[in-house]
Amino acid sequence: MNLRKIITGAAMAGIMALGLGGVAKADVAQSLSSESVIEEIKKRGVLRVGMSTFVPWAMRAKDGGLIGFEIDVAKKVAEDMEVEVEFIPTQWSGIIPALIAKKFDVIIGGMSITPARNLTVNFTIPYAHSGQQMVASMELADGMAVDDFNSSDVTIACRRGATPCNAAAKLFPKASLSRFDDDAQAFQEVVNGNAHGFITSAPKPRFWMEKHPGKLFMPTEENLTQGDEAFALRKGDPDALNFFSNWIQVHTSNGWLQERHDFWFTNQNWADQVAEN
Amino acid sequence: MAHDRPPPPLKPKRRWQKIDVVIIGLAFVAIAYVVYRVEHVLVYKWEWQPVLDFVAYKNPDTGEWVANLLIQGLLMTLRLAFWGTIAAAAIGLVMGLCRISQNLFLRATARIYVELIRNIPPIVFIFVFYFFISSQIMPIIGVDDFARNASPETASIIGFLFSPMDLFSNFLAGVICLAMFEGAYITEIVRAGVQSIEKGQWEGARAIGLSRLNVMRDVILPQAIRKILPPLAGQFITLVKDSAIVSLISIQELTFSATEVAATTTRVFETWIVVGAMYFVICYFFAVLFGRLEKRLSQDRR
Repeated sequence: MNLRKIITGAAMAGIMALGLGGVAKADVAQSLSSESVIEEIKKRGVLRVGMSTFVPWAMRAKDGGLIGFEIDVAKKVAEDMEVEVEFIPTQWSGIIPALIAKKFDVIIGGMSITPARNLTVNFTIPYAHSGQQMVASMELADGMAVDDFNSSDVTIACRRGATPCNAAAKLFPKASLSRFDDDAQAFQEVVNGNAHGFITSAPKPRFWMEKHPGKLFMPTEENLTQGDEAFALRKGDPDALNFFSNWIQVHTSNGWLQERHDFWFTNQNWADQVAEN
Repeated sequence: MAHDRPPPPLKPKRRWQKIDVVIIGLAFVAIAYVVYRVEHVLVYKWEWQPVLDFVAYKNPDTGEWVANLLIQGLLMTLRLAFWGTIAAAAIGLVMGLCRISQNLFLRATARIYVELIRNIPPIVFIFVFYFFISSQIMPIIGVDDFARNASPETASIIGFLFSPMDLFSNFLAGVICLAMFEGAYITEIVRAGVQSIEKGQWEGARAIGLSRLNVMRDVILPQAIRKILPPLAGQFITLVKDSAIVSLISIQELTFSATEVAATTTRVFETWIVVGAMYFVICYFFAVLFGRLEKRLSQDRR
């Protein structure tokens, strides 16, 4: 069992227990719209966004500032709301408890919609569709097709946490998984020849393959799974859910989201802004 | 009571023994082997520059060196440790005195506090406690509103002493978490310090008619504090290192900055080696500094 999950669960149980007292008091039906986080943001003049560093969604520029796809998205949301934006970088394992504890108004952090998460937070409609990609070691897995990786001789490295390891376990039930806390460590296992393949969110596997042409290859260019990333909000706030969902709808229709997504995900023309090697 | 004292320990021999040479030789062989494995067996291209850029970088426009994320993180760690130690010392002093109080209620309270905190993993304590204090207590005392409405001067003072305004309530929660946590250990230091003062001091002071409070304040504590200060300084160094756990609750200290730098640069090993070295330099610096101070203090007394 994942230690972080236990801790997160314990923390949330605590928060919920503490929250129950407050809920009973409030006259929920009447005060919904005046208590919406949208009103709070407008009054405060600042949109507080929870996020976590993850290339190329959000990362640090050379001068220490934040750049990335969802940084652009959050700035645009704030611009359209005519407020300032404030980023609260948060460890991924604590990001949902922090949202519930009102450390920020919304998570714009490339969070995939999952039913389990959805029981705790509300999701908007998706603003991005990422997926999982695989790179493999030329030394160990040269010429193997995707199906060949489903074998008990194969070791697959993945980043601990919901999506990549679950995808790996589902696609390759026979293979043994080694789980890592961090993409870079999992990637290192493949380069060192300790694992045949490595699964994580696109587009990192492709960027890595491009950087290590003789060492790594992609068994398939296709994404192995399809994800839906959405903003996450605290429950019980229909106004905010409506506002953010429609914001995404508008900027999907006018192509703005696609254009930004392409800029960050299809190539690394932004690489000179980042300190990445 | 001179007959109670154990004889002074024999001076350790300063000469090199055969076994020392063998052990040091083995250590060198082990290091050489690790270096060989890293260089020739691991496929890893070491690249330090991207990480070092996050320590400090040269602004291309002005040509000035600017402290980047890691230095800022280190400063935040030091601020956390500084305020955390002060708050923890306050908690520790009160709880330590409760611990040896004659009042059963106070004694039980302090005992429960110490045992509860010492026997819970710090990570669990910090997670639960942080979400409790920051979601329940901070709004009640209005920290967020205060931080948001502060004048620019106040903001810059607080930004220097504590943390940037927008993260002020996080910082406060982190300091309280650390102080609660370290306070339990300081409680024990205080208790041990007070109890180490000879019983005769109590008896003598009581005999000349001082009240319990006066004995404690004027006779026992001044002596105890001299015994408490060295381990307290050591506790400060521990706090510098322990403050890494509040990285879990998004306080932008050194460890948190390091996770961000590692994620951005993908140079995980380099990042953690650099950050480890930064922790070492700071902690060793304080260890040497406190060692000197302690020596001077003990000389002054004679």
